[in-house]
Amino acid sequence: MTRTRRLLGVVGQHSVLIGLAIIFALPFFFMLLQSVTPLEEAKTTVLWPSSFDFGNYSEVFDRVPLARYIRNTLLVCALVVTGTIVSCVPVAYAFSHMRWRGRGVVFVLVLSTMMLPFQVLFVSQYEIFSNLGWLNTILPLVVPSFFANAFSIFLLRQFFLTLPTETIDAARADGAGEFQILTRIVVPMAKPGIMAVAIFQFLFAWSDFFGPNIYLSDESNLTLAVGLVRLNTAAARLGESNLTMAASVIFVMPLVVIFFFAQKIFIEGVTLTGTKG
Amino acid sequence: MTETAARPAAPDGAGDTVVGPRSSSVPVVPPERLRAKRRADRKRRLTVLLLLSPWIIGFLVFTLYPIVNSFYWSFTVKRYGSPAKWVGLANYELLFTNDELLTSLGNTAYLAVFGMPVRIGIALLAASLLVRARRGNGVYRTMFYVPSIVPAVASGALFFFLLKEGGPLSSLFGVFGAEAPLWFRDPQWAKPALIMVTTWALGDLMLILLAGLVDIPRSLYEAAELDGAGRWARFRHVTLPMISPVIFFIVLTGLIGVLQSFDQAYVFSQGVREGRLTGEPGGSLLTYAMLQLRLFQDGRIGFASAMAWVMFLITFAITMVMLATRRRWVHTATEEWA
Repeated sequence: MTRTRRLLGVVGQHSVLIGLAIIFALPFFFMLLQSVTPLEEAKTTVLWPSSFDFGNYSEVFDRVPLARYIRNTLLVCALVVTGTIVSCVPVAYAFSHMRWRGRGVVFVLVLSTMMLPFQVLFVSQYEIFSNLGWLNTILPLVVPSFFANAFSIFLLRQFFLTLPTETIDAARADGAGEFQILTRIVVPMAKPGIMAVAIFQFLFAWSDFFGPNIYLSDESNLTLAVGLVRLNTAAARLGESNLTMAASVIFVMPLVVIFFFAQKIFIEGVTLTGTKG
Repeated sequence: MTETAARPAAPDGAGDTVVGPRSSSVPVVPPERLRAKRRADRKRRLTVLLLLSPWIIGFLVFTLYPIVNSFYWSFTVKRYGSPAKWVGLANYELLFTNDELLTSLGNTAYLAVFGMPVRIGIALLAASLLVRARRGNGVYRTMFYVPSIVPAVASGALFFFLLKEGGPLSSLFGVFGAEAPLWFRDPQWAKPALIMVTTWALGDLMLILLAGLVDIPRSLYEAAELDGAGRWARFRHVTLPMISPVIFFIVLTGLIGVLQSFDQAYVFSQGVREGRLTGEPGGSLLTYAMLQLRLFQDGRIGFASAMAWVMFLITFAITMVMLATRRRWVHTATEEWA
């Protein structure tokens, strides 16, 4: 009797899981379907198109400078990732493998900046960048990342702390300088952690809408996120949701691919920030 | 703070890099060696400073200066590129005598009060089913998680399409014989639409809850089962208390996050009517959107700064109240674990 009950429990559990999974997958399904729906049918309420039109994907490249958007976005991402790693690795090293007076206090200060809401900062940051003549360039989006951010410092420090101190102490005893220890020992050993921070920053820069929307205005400067919103606005009036969905697929696909290659990093990163943040 | 616990054990002698005077257990040190030591200390201090310099500069230029600036501006009338004029508390008075802030705060609160229980409830359901499922665990987890890596503007555009008149989800209403609401033209329905998008992206919550559930010792469930506790009783008296620190964290960060929700609302409103910043339909203006509207459309920097500070104080107050009442929400036996 208990066996049948248990079996029923497992069946019930899986049917709820399958039901939820279908609901969560459905939006993706409609996105892909609409992205290959011919224009005449995209304007109607037809759910299943009579034929698939992959031409939507090339059409969207003709309609908006999508190749340009992709290039701009990749440039921003590359610079943000580089800036974050170059600036945060030394800071995280000073907070993990060097001992100095006041370290605890300064680290709490670093963490507390994470809690500051962005809105009290951007009002004034905008004027700084405007005075520098940086509006309508990618500089406001990438330059701050070269000056370290609390979240990445925190993550890197967590990774650095797991490294064996004996190796580092031995190097120090042999008279190695701190910069040598950092570049020759810590960085090679902490590669997975640095990779995780790089992926998170890439994701953030790729998805960010708020910053690019404030600072970029010329069509030729836009990133994918801003371009997609503008396309959506224009397409909504013409009923060309098939083009918006094709552009969305192009925008989202790289992230999904990265996720499948780096699933473990994602899951560990989210859990780490969730339970220890 | 785990600061002291996490600090690597200090080795004695050569490997020690403590800056500043060392405990003077050695009675007599020749003066020339003392000088050499002081020089080494200064060098080490400089090294630390050099390593920290990216953060120090960034903190001064992009954090401290803007904070001081926007605090000062909140008492002034100012436009970009022109000097500020002191007006005292006028901006704050205007803020609180104006319906707009109340409306937008009300809408933001709506999203928090109705949206968060839905998100946390579904995330907890998914996580507690996953933690027991032996087969297909990874596949389900991936399917629930992937929507949360979709950028907010893309999920906004996607749900704009799904819910628009004649869109797939609206057509589904037709199948059931109900008339689909005009999701984006009616303030009553724009908010549920926003809740729907954010619920789709609950993957982060689910992963955090899943990690919390995995940490609950099995022995607790076995003991409860021996006591004759059914499925619901086990959930109510074992799972819920044990997971309460995680839920507390999710609620706290969720409340802070909802005050900043912007992207999807922007996409929805832009799709409906071009040219207006956001908060279309008018009754569904969000706090964060209102801030941007006043700042970039009207260029009222002083007013926007005052509003930013009010939003900050609200966030701060929520955090403080929640932390102060933490013991009431959170099962105390797991205090040190949270």
